[in-house]
Amino acid sequence: MKQFITHFLLAAKLLLRMPGYWVPAVIFPSMLFSFFGVSSADDPTRSAYAMASFCIYAIVGVTFYQFGAGIAQQRETAFDVWSRTLPGSRWPSLMAKLVTASLFGLVSVASVIAVAFTLSSPAVSGLQLAQLVGVCAVAAIPASLMGITLGYLASSRTAVAIANMVFLPLAYLGGLWVPPGRLPDVIDTISQYTPTRHMGELAWHVIAKASIPTESLIAIAAFTALFGVTAWLGVKTDTKRRFG
Amino acid sequence: METIVNLDRISKRFGKRTVLNDISFTVARGEAVALLGPNGAGKSTTLSILQGLRDAASGKATVFGVAAGSRKAMARIGITPQDADFPQQVTPRELISFASAHFSQPDHVDNLISAFGLEKLIDRRTSGFSGGERRRIALALAFAGRPELVFLDEPTTGLDTGSQAMFNDYVRMFTANGGTLILTSHNLHEVETVCERIVMIDGGRIVADGPISEIRDAVGGKRIRFHLNGANGFSDERFKAADGYWSGIVNDVEPTLCRLLNDNPSITQLTVENLPLDEAITLHNATTKH
Repeated sequence: MKQFITHFLLAAKLLLRMPGYWVPAVIFPSMLFSFFGVSSADDPTRSAYAMASFCIYAIVGVTFYQFGAGIAQQRETAFDVWSRTLPGSRWPSLMAKLVTASLFGLVSVASVIAVAFTLSSPAVSGLQLAQLVGVCAVAAIPASLMGITLGYLASSRTAVAIANMVFLPLAYLGGLWVPPGRLPDVIDTISQYTPTRHMGELAWHVIAKASIPTESLIAIAAFTALFGVTAWLGVKTDTKRRFG
Repeated sequence: METIVNLDRISKRFGKRTVLNDISFTVARGEAVALLGPNGAGKSTTLSILQGLRDAASGKATVFGVAAGSRKAMARIGITPQDADFPQQVTPRELISFASAHFSQPDHVDNLISAFGLEKLIDRRTSGFSGGERRRIALALAFAGRPELVFLDEPTTGLDTGSQAMFNDYVRMFTANGGTLILTSHNLHEVETVCERIVMIDGGRIVADGPISEIRDAVGGKRIRFHLNGANGFSDERFKAADGYWSGIVNDVEPTLCRLLNDNPSITQLTVENLPLDEAITLHNATTKH
C-alpha cells in the first residue's frame, strides 16, 4: 500500500505539473459537447442523454487514449527503467497510473457535466448524477486496461495514431456521438459488440431511471476480463522484448 | 570474506549473437570493482542480469546468496539510473523520497543532501539542471535506501573537481564500512581512484580479472623515458624515439637503468613512471591473447 501511495503521488504530481498535457485532454470532451451536444439544449431529456454520452466519451478518452499513449511514452524513459530496479512489485506502479488516469478522467466527466448545466438544463437529479459518475468510474476500469494494452504493445511514436484509430471508431460505433436509435442498422448491429455501447447503455439507463441492463453489465465484465488479459500480455510482451 | 555477488558460468544470447559467453566472477563484501570493456562487450548485459532486469540464458547469478533480481536481493541494492534523465516536473527531494519509500531503512534525505552537495537543488524542479547536477541526484538515488551493494554507471561524468572529490570520499567511506561497489566507467582515472580491482569483459568473455596492481605487475611495470643527445648507435628494441625522446616499457627497471646510464652518459631528462591503467590493460590483453 505504501508503494502504491508513493507511485500514485509521483504520477499525480507529474500530471498536475504538466497542464499543457492534461488540460486539453480533460477539457476536450466538454468542448465537443458544447459544439454538438448543446443542439439538444432546449429539450432537458435529450440534453441529459447527450450529457451522459459525452461523460462516457470523456472517461474513455482520458483512461484509454491519454493514459495508453502516456504509458507508451513513459516506459521508454531511463527513469522508468531505473524504477524497475527498485525493490517491490511492478503492479503498484501500474495501479497508481491507472487510478491517476481514472481520477483525471472523472475530472473530465465533471467538466462535461458543468458545461451541460451551464449551456442547457439536463433533466437529471442529484442521485442520477452520482449514479452517472459511478457508471463512469466502472467504465474507467476496462478502458484503462485497454490503455495499458495499447501502452505496452505500441511504441511511443505509434501509440497516439493507434489510439485515434481505435478510440474514434469506438466512440461512433458505441453510439456516443449519434444515439444508437439513429445509427444505420448494420452499424447498430456492430455496435452491440463494442465496449463503448455497453458503457453507454449503463449511462443511458441511469438517465432513463431504468434498472441497469444485465446484458450490459455482463458485457462490461467480459470486456474487463478480456482487456485484463490483453493488458497482462502487453506487460509481459514488453518486458520480454526489452529485457528478455 | 563474505561473497556478495556470484556469477557462475553465465551466458546470454540476443538472437544469434552471443553477448555473454560463460562468464564467472565473484565480488566480496567491501570490494570496489570496476567492470570494464569496450562498447558492446557485455558489461551492460552483465549488470542488467545482476539488477534483475534480464535473465541469463544459462548459469547462475546470485546476489547476497539469493537469486539476482529477487526482492530480497533488490532490497539491499542501490543503482544509479543509466542516464541521469529524470522527469522534469519533480524535485530531487521528491525523487529521493520516491526511491526511499521502496526501502525499509532508507537514509535521511539531509544526509544525502550534504553527501552529494544538493543543498541548492533539492527543492527545485529538475528541468534546466546541468549534467553534473543530474549526476549528483543519480548518485543520491543510488544511496537513498542505505544499500549494501551499489551499482554505479559512469558516476562522475560531468562532475566538477569538487564534486568528484566529494564522491570519492563518500565511496571510500561506503566501502570502508562494508559496502560493496560495482562500477562501470570509461574514465580509467576514476576507476583507479575508486576501485582496487577490475573485471574486464570483451566479446562476452572475461579477459582480465584482478587487482589493478596485479594487472600492472603482469604487464611488467614501468615506462622509462629520456632524452639522448647524439643518439647515433643507441639500440634497444624496447625503446622507440618520438618527439625527441626515447620511450619504452620495461619489466626489469633497475638493471635497464644501470645499463642505459652506463652506456649513454649523455642521457638527460630521465623519468620512470607507472603505466596509465588503459595502457596496462591494453598490454595485458595483448599479452594474454598471444
